[in-house]
Amino acid sequence: MRYLIATALAALALHGAPAVAAEQGVTDTEILIGEVDPFTGPPALLGKAHSSGLKLAFAEANEAGVNGRKIKMISEDDGYVTARTLQGLRKVIDVDKVFSVVGISGSGQSIAAMPVLEKSGVPTIISSAPVSQIFEPARKNVFALGQVYTQGIKELTAFLADKFPGKKWGIVTQDDDYGLLVREGFDTIVKAKKLNVVYSGSYKKGQTDFASDMLRLKESGAEVFLAGGIISENVAMIKEMEKLAFKPAVGIFWPGRIEVVLKLAGPASDGLYAVDYVEPLAGPAGKAFVEQAKKHLTEAEMKGINRYTEAGYAAGRVLVEAFRKCGKALTRDCAISEIEKTKDLQTGVMAPISFGAGKRFSDQKVQIMQADFATLSYKPVK
Amino acid sequence: MRLFADLVASGIAIGAIYGLIAMGFAVIYKATGLANFAQGEMSMIVAYVAWTISTTLTGNVFVVVAGSIVFAVLLGLAVERFIMRPMLGEPIFSTVLVTIGVAVVLRSLITLVWDAYPHALNLGVGRDVVKMASVSLRGAQIASILTLLAVMGAFYLFFRFSKIGVAMRAVAADDRTALLMGVSAARIHAIAWGCSSAIAGIAGVLFALVYDLSPAMFQLGLKSFPASILGGLDSVIGSGFGGILIGVAENLAGGYVGSGLKDVAGFLMIIVILMVQPFGLFGEREIVRV
Amino acid sequence: MRSGDFKETYADLIVLSDSRLVWAWAGVLVVALVVAPFVVNAYVLSLLTLVLITVTGALGLNLLTGLTGLISLGHAGFLLLGAYGYAIVVAKHNLHPLLGFLAAGVAPALFAIVVGLPSLRLRGLYLAITTLAFSYIISDLILEAKSITDGARGITVQRPEFFGLDFSSDPSFALLCAFVAAVALFACLNIQRSRIGRAFMAIRDNDIAARTMGVNLQAFKLYAFMTSAFITGIAGALMGIYLSFVSVEGFPFLFSIEALAILIVGGLGSALGAVLGTVFIVLLPEAIRILFSWFGGALESLLSTGVHEVKSIAYGVAIILFLRFEPRGLVGVWRDAKRLWTHWPLKY
Repeated sequence: MRYLIATALAALALHGAPAVAAEQGVTDTEILIGEVDPFTGPPALLGKAHSSGLKLAFAEANEAGVNGRKIKMISEDDGYVTARTLQGLRKVIDVDKVFSVVGISGSGQSIAAMPVLEKSGVPTIISSAPVSQIFEPARKNVFALGQVYTQGIKELTAFLADKFPGKKWGIVTQDDDYGLLVREGFDTIVKAKKLNVVYSGSYKKGQTDFASDMLRLKESGAEVFLAGGIISENVAMIKEMEKLAFKPAVGIFWPGRIEVVLKLAGPASDGLYAVDYVEPLAGPAGKAFVEQAKKHLTEAEMKGINRYTEAGYAAGRVLVEAFRKCGKALTRDCAISEIEKTKDLQTGVMAPISFGAGKRFSDQKVQIMQADFATLSYKPVK
Repeated sequence: MRLFADLVASGIAIGAIYGLIAMGFAVIYKATGLANFAQGEMSMIVAYVAWTISTTLTGNVFVVVAGSIVFAVLLGLAVERFIMRPMLGEPIFSTVLVTIGVAVVLRSLITLVWDAYPHALNLGVGRDVVKMASVSLRGAQIASILTLLAVMGAFYLFFRFSKIGVAMRAVAADDRTALLMGVSAARIHAIAWGCSSAIAGIAGVLFALVYDLSPAMFQLGLKSFPASILGGLDSVIGSGFGGILIGVAENLAGGYVGSGLKDVAGFLMIIVILMVQPFGLFGEREIVRV
Repeated sequence: MRSGDFKETYADLIVLSDSRLVWAWAGVLVVALVVAPFVVNAYVLSLLTLVLITVTGALGLNLLTGLTGLISLGHAGFLLLGAYGYAIVVAKHNLHPLLGFLAAGVAPALFAIVVGLPSLRLRGLYLAITTLAFSYIISDLILEAKSITDGARGITVQRPEFFGLDFSSDPSFALLCAFVAAVALFACLNIQRSRIGRAFMAIRDNDIAARTMGVNLQAFKLYAFMTSAFITGIAGALMGIYLSFVSVEGFPFLFSIEALAILIVGGLGSALGAVLGTVFIVLLPEAIRILFSWFGGALESLLSTGVHEVKSIAYGVAIILFLRFEPRGLVGVWRDAKRLWTHWPLKY
């Protein structure tokens, strides 16, 4: 009898050991990670680049393996439609049974995803478009990697205000939550530094013709201008100003800070001020990153590299480091507590990353950069 | 006053592109009674093909424009022959939905074949700024206005004097009687699709010259639809005017009232005008009998 | 084939169904819908919820476009108004969720009077484009009226709780959606067989003839707009709760097009068509995904980065092919299947 019990216990123990490790999405050989980003339509620019950043981080980790496991990523397309974001997210969590989730489309989509993520308890890093609603209130399993729009625009405005004291200001923003946050940050500095704002406009997402906006801006006599568009909007604004022979100092913001903007806007884009929390690709750190990426990315993916690739790469690195530290017994709780313990993680693409107890926002340091048309790149200033 | 002149000029420039696409809508509607929801997508794909020609073969503006018009006509004919013609005689709703299906396919082709990045269509012309009195426009914008006028004139002559044009009007007026008179409706449909696609393509190339290529270009179709409604869906030349009116209205609203009103100005205008003229400014009044 | 099937009274003719079998099957469906949320996994559940919400919206559009023959390209606007109606009442002012649903129906219905006015003068595509114009104006108004709607910031919505029932879990919320969809279906079926529904159909078939028969065109067209907007608004409220975040961005123009696609694929003018069409359109991307996974990794690696575009092309192609071979829509397929079933093995 005793013998029987002993064998049963032993069997149970043998059986039990893998059971502890067999958390959803983790097998002895594999860790599944889910990503939801836009891969079709215009925002694919963001989604594809972000995805190849993640792919790079995981491919690098898989070279040596993560405690004997390989990371496999499952990407879902949401086409930037919130309803599809939720579908995709539920699919990766409930059907593919991933261990962890990363990315998530735009800011509105991320906010809508919060209840699903919170309920599921999967370790999540929001790195495509971090906004404050994601980490206020702090959710146990959701981490925001990057910087919020308001902070970025505050620093850019403050920098330009010091550089061009006593000048007249103009701003144009998009009429959505992104534009609202840009304006919020801008208004804070306007109040603090008592800036003289002579023109303030907004445009509907998808507007292509900025003739009337720029004419009014010129009429207002603005000397410093914040172009709050994303990509084609900023290009259209800069080209329109060039047409009107109107040359204020122009600042742009990170969602549109990709190299292609400079090429499209032509010589008029020389000297644009920009702000970002990831390294400019033309800087030494950025160049090193591009070199490093060549090893694992396809040619098509290399062409699509931009700042979102860096953001995705950093997110992938944070996950990989946390998984490594958890060792063989990788559980969600362990992954969450290890992500939380991330301290000064060097990724090469942004300032060292740290989270902390109750701190679900990495609050990356931003830097101001300036466009150089001759080399089609952004260079750090200061 | 200078602001006003500037606003009107740039309004006409963007309106010319709306007008061209709206004429494409009208040609198909006139000949087949269909609204083609893939018009914007057709413009977009032709513009991308033009870009490919300019970056791989030659940047010569004539070659690129000729090449893209040929492609546009082929695209229009192919869509008509393989997708629309089998739907002849089927319920009109189903047929219109098929064009939406075509739109979905074309839209996804863009990011599949090309990429999601915006690109500049650089033909070495059109970027230079031309100053006339106080108004400054880019070369490509002036080209758009001239093209619109030329296409409008060509259509006027076509409908008035050419045999095909008269046949097209006959099919539009009464397709059965036209058939009895020996007009091949299928041929007329094919010609309409070819023409419409060609104009849409020209509009796409001009748009790309002024504002660059991007996968969001298809929204141009949606913006031009009101122009066609304003001018009258069955009035090809009226649709061209409709485009200019909408372009100018948008810019004036944006310039004097505020940017919030800019994107709805065109829509507000069509609501007001349609209440007075239910078939658009130049559209033919449909007489309904019981 | 049933024989000796005589209709003796008018009531017999318009009864929802005189077949016990149909009622029995309907009962089975109801039981299945009640049980399903507690059995299926969360992903299938979310698809089910989405189908149920979309059915409600499609039924709303069907009243207007299918029954009355007035094309609307602006139903995304009514969805949006419904979602905001609910969000403002419940999330911003903490009122009872039922009041929220009421607002979600009434707000679009009131606005529909304005949208419907042009329908008294305009036909076909002209009307379709004015409804499109109104849907743009609605989103613009919502963005401008910051004090009421919070503008572009959007409103976060919690799952409701009322009459001691808690709808915060996914299965219970799916049940709520099923209940609403069933009520909407019943309402539509009953409208169809009432005087009002017949007036709608008369307007669709020939409005001048309808008028000579004594149908008040103005009143009934506006009425069609209002009922349609009311039902669509309720669907909007559910959609807002499902998304848990209501903003102009969450209700793109695409929804208007998709709703029309549902009706046409299903078969215009039939409530059954709206239901079948919804199932088809909502599950089509799923079907494509499953198809792709059968071909497995080979195809995925072949297409590498293009796999998502190919899926979206397949979606467009599926719609084109379907209409090419079955332009009457799924209702036509359904009727053929029914005929085959009753006549088999005979042909007629």
